[in-house]
Amino acid sequence: MSTMKTTRDVKGVGVSIPRPDGPEKVTGRVQYVADIQPKGLLHAKLLRSPHAHARIVSIDVSAAKALPGVRAVLTAKDIPHLKKKAPTRAHAVLAIDRAVFMGQPVAAVAADELSIAEEALDLIKVEYQVLPASIDPLKAMLPGAPPVADAGTEADTSEALAHSAVAIAKSAAPAKAVNISQQARLQRGDPAKGFAESDHVLEKTYRVPMVHQGYLEAHAVLAEWDRNGLLTLWASTQGSFNTRSEVADVLGIPENRIRVIPVECGGGFGGKIRALCEPITAVLAQVTKRPVRYVMTRREELQAGMPAPQVIIKLKTGVKRDGTLMALDAETVIDSGAFSGAVLAVSAVFLGSMYKWPAFDIRGFEVLTHKPSVAAYRAPVAPQTIFAIESHMEQIARDLDLDSVEFRMRHLIQEGDPMVNGQPWQSNGAKQVLARIAEHPHWKSRKQWVAAGGKNGKRRGVGLALGGWLGGLQPTGATVRLNPDGSLAVLTGQVDIAGTNISLAQIAASAYGVDTDLVRITTGDTDVAPMTGLSAGSKTIYTVGAAVLQASEDARRQTFEIAAAELEASVHDLELTDGKITVRGMPDKGITLATIGKKGNLYMSKTPPVLGKANPAFTQQAPGFAAQLARLEVDPDTGEVTIQDFVIVQDVGKAINPLGVEGQMQGGAVQSLGIALTEGLMFDDSGRLTNPSLLDYRKLTAADLPNLETIIVEVPAPAGPFGARGVGEPPIIPAPAAIANAIQNATGARLTELPLSPERIALALVNGKR
Amino acid sequence: MAKHVLSCTVNGEPVEVLVQPYVTLLDALREDMGLTGPKEGCGTGDCGACTVHVDGKVVASCLMLAMQARGRKIRTIEGLAAADSTLHPLQDAFVRHGVPQCGFCIPGVLMAAAALLEENPRPSEEEIRYGIAGNLCRCTGYTKMVTAISEAAEMLASQRSAR
Repeated sequence: MSTMKTTRDVKGVGVSIPRPDGPEKVTGRVQYVADIQPKGLLHAKLLRSPHAHARIVSIDVSAAKALPGVRAVLTAKDIPHLKKKAPTRAHAVLAIDRAVFMGQPVAAVAADELSIAEEALDLIKVEYQVLPASIDPLKAMLPGAPPVADAGTEADTSEALAHSAVAIAKSAAPAKAVNISQQARLQRGDPAKGFAESDHVLEKTYRVPMVHQGYLEAHAVLAEWDRNGLLTLWASTQGSFNTRSEVADVLGIPENRIRVIPVECGGGFGGKIRALCEPITAVLAQVTKRPVRYVMTRREELQAGMPAPQVIIKLKTGVKRDGTLMALDAETVIDSGAFSGAVLAVSAVFLGSMYKWPAFDIRGFEVLTHKPSVAAYRAPVAPQTIFAIESHMEQIARDLDLDSVEFRMRHLIQEGDPMVNGQPWQSNGAKQVLARIAEHPHWKSRKQWVAAGGKNGKRRGVGLALGGWLGGLQPTGATVRLNPDGSLAVLTGQVDIAGTNISLAQIAASAYGVDTDLVRITTGDTDVAPMTGLSAGSKTIYTVGAAVLQASEDARRQTFEIAAAELEASVHDLELTDGKITVRGMPDKGITLATIGKKGNLYMSKTPPVLGKANPAFTQQAPGFAAQLARLEVDPDTGEVTIQDFVIVQDVGKAINPLGVEGQMQGGAVQSLGIALTEGLMFDDSGRLTNPSLLDYRKLTAADLPNLETIIVEVPAPAGPFGARGVGEPPIIPAPAAIANAIQNATGARLTELPLSPERIALALVNGKR
Repeated sequence: MAKHVLSCTVNGEPVEVLVQPYVTLLDALREDMGLTGPKEGCGTGDCGACTVHVDGKVVASCLMLAMQARGRKIRTIEGLAAADSTLHPLQDAFVRHGVPQCGFCIPGVLMAAAALLEENPRPSEEEIRYGIAGNLCRCTGYTKMVTAISEAAEMLASQRSAR
């Protein structure tokens, strides 16, 4: 494990450098999956169930097959290896005899043109027998509720593992009802005694609906088989090796028969980790022996993507009059939709671990319903959980007339404190981040700002919240090659969505000792790249960055050994400056990197080509904390919220590329604000999505927002490259609580259900929930 | 259905293609003219990723039939940079400020911003925010975008006054 490094005196780590593919992105030249047009391309469409729960009595595809231009029409019976009890959505390629959510694929078409494929869908006749559906997760938990999964289906915990959320022991107790797919319980101390000795007991239920990640590029994949039976997938994915493994598993073929080429990914945010439409597209390509492309529509994304789960948290706390924490009791229900796979552990960990509760009883349930199954969304389940605990902490402070920052600070964890699962907190900047935001003028001046009031009777409020993420881990590899021109070529399989490659290049530059301009980094496909993990879990820089750092040091060591032999000097007497290695104190005695690079590629040369490599695995997580502060105005008549100012403070360990770090902080914050204010997939009692368009499912626009102020805090991560921590996830966490706290500050109303829409706020004010 | 002849000007060049009468301008640009810069993010005019200019006005090309563009001047992201490929000041500012992350919204945002600056060379921050309010971006949080547009406006305005 590499530890803290010092940056070399080059243009590398710590400098804001725009990503080199920027000009390609601003000219429209970057190609996404839907932009690739191979010869002989066929277009795929999926027929989807119009019912949340229905038995498929019969399917007649004869008319669709007869339509000119249609090359294949598939139902489940055409794919013999499809089996019931599918453990994941990806395995449920097409519904076999029962559709379990509205929008589940039932049949697939490949045709010469998209319009022909669409027409073919209309010609497929499906007879359904509509069955009672479980839509509300609380009702779905009850014995006797309509069952979602086939009896005997296993729970899927791989998402939790992918995110390296802290493991917690699964409850040994058998599920008490048919739709409870996972459950966990964490206990410490004597909560009953704690509550009995408390002066203040607060109990509230917090509700967050399903929200969609909203990546602007819908799921898309292009599949083609060659004559040797090798499948190539051009995929919009957050992890090409992960996609390869999942597709191999679903199709029942070995991984070495699949090559995944990660095409530019138009956003993922957790929603493009798991396979979704890749297997069916591969099957269509196999059957037709043609390249087949499938691109989801936005409506399909909203109805049948893999959103974040609905979360309901019943939270009860007991504290002494002076604010001493006594006991916490919580029950979290996570609605996972029609398939298991939610990250159950995160909620328990953050409910009970951020502040030091001496006694707690935390129960978590993953419940299946007849709705689209869920996946990760940037810090999965953390924004929902932090909404509960940070709203609650603010309310306790308010009820007891305590300063809300001091109250938090007094009980906030630090390195070494036990989490609810008994594992110790790793080094983190929770306290530094909270202290920094409390110093902000917007916080210090909050009373005067609020008292001044808004125009036209608008009420002002200031609120803040703290949130954290444990930081993911995954083994990964990287190589660093010295080119004959003295530049470096870095190879990983890391999918670069947000601009991580430039940061990795900066790490390589600083570790090797050349300017970043001399480093080019390539994302290889699964045939050529070292095994590389997901672009997820806030771990790209932390883990792949570490691999690149180690590989660069390896390359530097090899380079110096060659130079030492050439210069007949000791490695320890050499230094690298401006692309030339010289003997210290003898600037004329030197050899350039280009010369060493050339020697590695000369016919009959005895100099080995420099090839640094590293393939580390990791054990030590690096938690990342962010605090956010909102100054807002509420119109008491309409309930409309206007955010005036928004501040993000985040501990990033070390900002490798501050430009990119700010972009992550701002982008994450706006997604967090969307969850807070406008977003939610709304299902009716029959399981039908009532807002399946971006007109009705409102994402925040530029006109909804002020400029976002970013303050970077650097508490070095002991095992991070140059001290860096992951930055992607923490900024999506605190805003719902910060906004709810600000709204309470403005109006006196404590809102516990997201989104904090004008209707909810206006109703709360009318109903006098003060 | 019989295809129709679509004659129009695209990025300054006369273009003639055969298209189905039901095809959108976006699909005609992407599939028939090979201009894949405009993106489909929703297909219903809500996200702005398909934004192009038609006779200098901002249009969601997914909501316009290709045949409605007959005889008109279309400008896409591919036609924003100068003929010698020098980036437009907006494009240059977007690169320098590190605006693009996933990049999928960027062509549409740039076309909306370019139209805004042609109509209103010195927009306020609020006017910029409303000028790109039809374009969803899920990566950036818009702050760097607004800064870059504001800076490009300054640059364009000073270029104009220098002339």
